[in-house]
Amino acid sequence: MIKVDHLTKRYGDTVAVDDLDFEVKPGVVTGFLGPNGSGKSTTMRIILGLDHASKGQATVNGVRFAELKDPIREVGALLDAKAVHPGRTARNHLRALAASNQIKRSRVDEVLDFVGIGSVANKKVGTFSLGMSQRLGIAGALLGDPGVLLFDEPVNGLDPEGIKWIRDFFRALANEGRTVFVSSHLMSEMAVSADEIIVIGRGRFITSGSVNDLTKNAEGTVLARASNHDKLAALVTSNHGTVHDSNDEGLTIGGLTSDQVGQLAFDAGIAIFELTPQRASLEEVFMDLTAGAVEYGAQRQVPAHGE
Amino acid sequence: MVNESTLMATTRSEWIKFRTVRSSIMGVIVTVLLTIGLGVLITTLVRTHWSQLSPLRIATFDPVSSSLRGSLFAQFAVGVIGTLFITSEYTSGSIRTTLTAVPNRFRLIGGKLIVLFISMLILGEFVCFAAFLIGQRIYLGVVPTASITNGTVLRSVVLAGLYLALLALFAFALGLILRQSAAAISVFVSVLLIVPIIGLFFPQNWQNDFMRFEPSTLGVSMQSPFAPSNSFGAWSATLILLAYVVGTMIVAVVLFQRRDAGSNQ
Repeated sequence: MIKVDHLTKRYGDTVAVDDLDFEVKPGVVTGFLGPNGSGKSTTMRIILGLDHASKGQATVNGVRFAELKDPIREVGALLDAKAVHPGRTARNHLRALAASNQIKRSRVDEVLDFVGIGSVANKKVGTFSLGMSQRLGIAGALLGDPGVLLFDEPVNGLDPEGIKWIRDFFRALANEGRTVFVSSHLMSEMAVSADEIIVIGRGRFITSGSVNDLTKNAEGTVLARASNHDKLAALVTSNHGTVHDSNDEGLTIGGLTSDQVGQLAFDAGIAIFELTPQRASLEEVFMDLTAGAVEYGAQRQVPAHGE
Repeated sequence: MVNESTLMATTRSEWIKFRTVRSSIMGVIVTVLLTIGLGVLITTLVRTHWSQLSPLRIATFDPVSSSLRGSLFAQFAVGVIGTLFITSEYTSGSIRTTLTAVPNRFRLIGGKLIVLFISMLILGEFVCFAAFLIGQRIYLGVVPTASITNGTVLRSVVLAGLYLALLALFAFALGLILRQSAAAISVFVSVLLIVPIIGLFFPQNWQNDFMRFEPSTLGVSMQSPFAPSNSFGAWSATLILLAYVVGTMIVAVVLFQRRDAGSNQ
């Protein structure tokens, strides 16, 4: 269980994290989502006691990270896979980590084999690919068999097989009752790997909830292909609907359900060839939520027909 | 504040880290080569040129410190070991992994200092005793020699080794303040080499006052059985050097405690 309590972090005049307040519960995979530069990594570093909070605090299992006696037995973290001395072998890196928290040496080989890099355990970390480093980082996080795990952008640099592996792995950890907190700037990744999502932008809390809730609340559209598109479009607008897009493929209609559009067309004698409700993808929800909260975004194209 | 059993665990972990990187091993080899190798070279040159030396040089000749001169070159190798032990954590970013395993920053520095001081003291004493004994062996029969059983001679050899260990700690503190290998090593070398050169531009009477506070001059005092002119005695020199180390270390630890360790520089 991770609790972030009115957390604020300032660097000079810049506010990196602005009054963040949330909880991460055990038993589910919680995604921490936000555009690049939105304060995800800063928040994780404060949770881990690496950076000092300007205001508020973060606790793990009810205490501040710095007060944990053998922290990696309670919290496993992977922040930056390349943050390992390049001249040290994978095994020696983990052995030093294990010794600091009084974890028995045999555990080192266990986790190396578990993440699938047992065969390169005696190679220097500097020779590792990003994917291998990522696996070594995960091995380090698992070393103390902790109940709380934090991963910052863990799929970066992984091949498709590795991504599949890591998704199943998060799921398994959560099913064992652990708290799993995973940050990402990729909505599509979170949509498949997380149960709960916390969205932030520019350091501020935007929304949270289950993946289903987030997409349910978002406005969906209806794609309609009919005998007379102009007439249908006029009908829709006069009935408080909006037409987002109109082309040979059909009309993209917002503000009305597919049932309502079908009934309107039937009453007006328009033949409907196709009527497809389109749920907003998580990606679109995310873009809508974080629009304006993107620190280094390209200018967004404003749709011709507006919202 | 610091639990004893966990300080042991931190120390064990830091010892593994210390001995599993090449820079430490290379630093140790260079220290051995410089102290003993240069010691052999210097003492051999003294022996072969002994008959040509002036009566004054012969009268003031010190067989102890002359055999230990190599350690004044090895101090740079020891400094690099001390600096890299902490700056490599920052340059590689592994300080973040380290601190998530040992969030108590006092305890982390405590563990690192124990490892660094003990290993450098053992190394320093080993090379200084070896250089002294080999040097006296080379002098034997031509140049007057000193015996380790003499208390003052023993003190000089022991303090020469301690000097190296203290300089490693000093370099470590600079590394912790600057967090960059190149910057920390430059400052360390400047303090030992450049500052004495600046001292040469001072008026003579200031120069004498200034130079005897210089770390290398303190090192010479520590390894000499009799205090050289315009210098402190061996024990005073040791205390002054110790004060430098403690002072720098306090600044370093206070900064370390206050700074964020997460972001890159």
